[in-house]
Amino acid sequence: MYKKLFKEDLEQFTSTLKQFGSIYGPVKKTSRGCEFTELTDFKDLQLNYTRTMIPPKKFFLKPKEPLYSLNKDAGFKEIIDDSKTVLLGVHSCDINALNLLDRVYLNQFPDLHYKTRRENTIIIGVSCEPDDYCFCTSTGSSHALKGFDLFLHEISDSYIVRVGSMKGFQIITQNKHIIKNPSLTDIKEFKEYEAERLSKITLNLNVNGIQDILDLSFDHAVWQENADICFGCGSCNLVCPTCRCYDVIDYLKLDLKNGLKVRRWDSCMLKQHALVAGGLNFRPTRVERLYNRFNCKMSCSEDSLNCVGCGRCTVYCPADINFVEVLKQVRED
Amino acid sequence: MTETENNLKPRIGVFSLTGCAGDQLMILNLEDTLIELLSKFDIKSFQEASSYSENTNLDIAFVEGSVSTEHDLKTLKNIREKSSLLIAIGDCAVNGCVQAMRNKQTSIAERMIDVYGVEDNIYKTFEPKGVGEYVKVDFEIPGCPIEKEEALNALISLLNGDAPLIPDYPVCVECKLNGYPCVIIEEGKPCLGPIITAGCDARCPGLGLDCVGCRGPIKGETNAKAELEALRKRGYADKYIINRLRFFAGNFDDIQILGVKENSKGDK
Ligand code: SF4
Ligand code: SF4
Ligand code: SF4
Ligand code: SF4
Repeated sequence: MYKKLFKEDLEQFTSTLKQFGSIYGPVKKTSRGCEFTELTDFKDLQLNYTRTMIPPKKFFLKPKEPLYSLNKDAGFKEIIDDSKTVLLGVHSCDINALNLLDRVYLNQFPDLHYKTRRENTIIIGVSCEPDDYCFCTSTGSSHALKGFDLFLHEISDSYIVRVGSMKGFQIITQNKHIIKNPSLTDIKEFKEYEAERLSKITLNLNVNGIQDILDLSFDHAVWQENADICFGCGSCNLVCPTCRCYDVIDYLKLDLKNGLKVRRWDSCMLKQHALVAGGLNFRPTRVERLYNRFNCKMSCSEDSLNCVGCGRCTVYCPADINFVEVLKQVRED
Repeated sequence: MTETENNLKPRIGVFSLTGCAGDQLMILNLEDTLIELLSKFDIKSFQEASSYSENTNLDIAFVEGSVSTEHDLKTLKNIREKSSLLIAIGDCAVNGCVQAMRNKQTSIAERMIDVYGVEDNIYKTFEPKGVGEYVKVDFEIPGCPIEKEEALNALISLLNGDAPLIPDYPVCVECKLNGYPCVIIEEGKPCLGPIITAGCDARCPGLGLDCVGCRGPIKGETNAKAELEALRKRGYADKYIINRLRFFAGNFDDIQILGVKENSKGDK
């Protein structure tokens, strides 16, 4: 279902979202851009942004979160955050990344913490402002087909609102007085704006058959060349919207009876990621870790890559290792 | 407390070699838990806390300060002999810290002339090194000074019979976990975070400042050449970068080879 919301009504629309939870949206934080921040003042909301450093993944799989409280006599007690949240202004790539995370955290063995956050969060997408680092058209993630409640496609004076869920429909119904039907001119504009947006995504990565190429390229010189300048700092994984690895740490209190089980994001670029009981590390060198990261990102699960082409890993690498460039060198096309 | 209860507690000692006593102070700064914490141990020696000291066998010895005199070395060897576990606390004990910034660059004689005006090595000093250069170290708690929370968690782990958990990954990880903007990428600041041991919760980048490396490089994981390259690319001169790297890490081979011969005395 497609509706229309005038930009001048966005403030009023946003204020009605409060009843669904605390609103988080892109707010300007640095010279480079915005981060998802709790919206205390509508004026801070900046829907025209390129990318956040930390992806909206942080709301579902938190950077650091207590999972259980421990007591030696009473056992475990789950710590669940079931607060209601509205994410306003999520891009297609990041929505697609959440859909990928869902496969890991919801299918087969649902993760209670992730699941609770997902069920209590409303996602409102917005059209993006691509730059030279975006290559989502190559990874098939420049458009979100599911994984949102509403999606705001920007046109000149309004947004074409795509309804993606029953909750989204409910929000639309509650805002009846400001929600219109798109006209033929609006639809024409929609096409123009979408074409304009896609035309800005000029970076291209040929992913056809890349899995075979990577499998056969373990000894390619490009891995060592890049491992030599790589810090193993993990930034690339920690800003990636599809990285799903975490570590779990037990913190005991001084009484040695009570404690907390905490999980935090992990990165396969770090030494201890592949360290197992007995002291064996199955990826002891940086070059093996680097190869693994690229391999993981380009591997296929259920027909889609583990990369949504957001460009974050390149933008935020302190060693300026360029994700697409490395893969192009491996491909040699 | 009865004698038997006391006998079950781990016997510990906290010792100082060449350093500023800041690491001992950080333990004493654990004000909220200090009484409870100290009551879990049978303290045989703790220079900064009490004049009481017993030269006896220990379950755990905590050593701060670098080894820079013959006296330090003798003390250290005596501690090692008497202790089941020896834990280096603070950068001085872990890798030599700021005292080592001119190691293999300036001789002791030159330093004596600069500081005391005489060439004679009157204090019998030698190039400051971490305690691990001379004796077996079981665990290291880095920091200049150590983080008190990290020290507390290490002590709790030891009480529970676990190995203390010390990060072996760089400060960048903590920047990302906290969502702090990267000062290299956003502002081109000469941040050493990519090669420095985490555990401070990225305190400096959290304040918008570049990491100066006070927790020391990650042992066996430091890509010093990459740091030199990354900062060169952002317009910093080699001399500046190498001095900065040496500030807390003069003893690291891969930092020494970046500029062994250079005597950068007086350079800005
Ligand atoms: S962000 Fe760059 S330097 Fe850091 S681990 Fe990733 S590729 Fe290496
Ligand atoms: S691998 Fe890089 S480009 Fe792909 S989703 Fe992750 S951060 Fe984005
Ligand atoms: S790239 Fe590394 S950190 Fe990311 S999901 Fe794959 S193995 Fe995990
Ligand atoms: S500010 Fe420094 S420590 Fe933080 S991510 Fe950037 S380089 Fe790493």
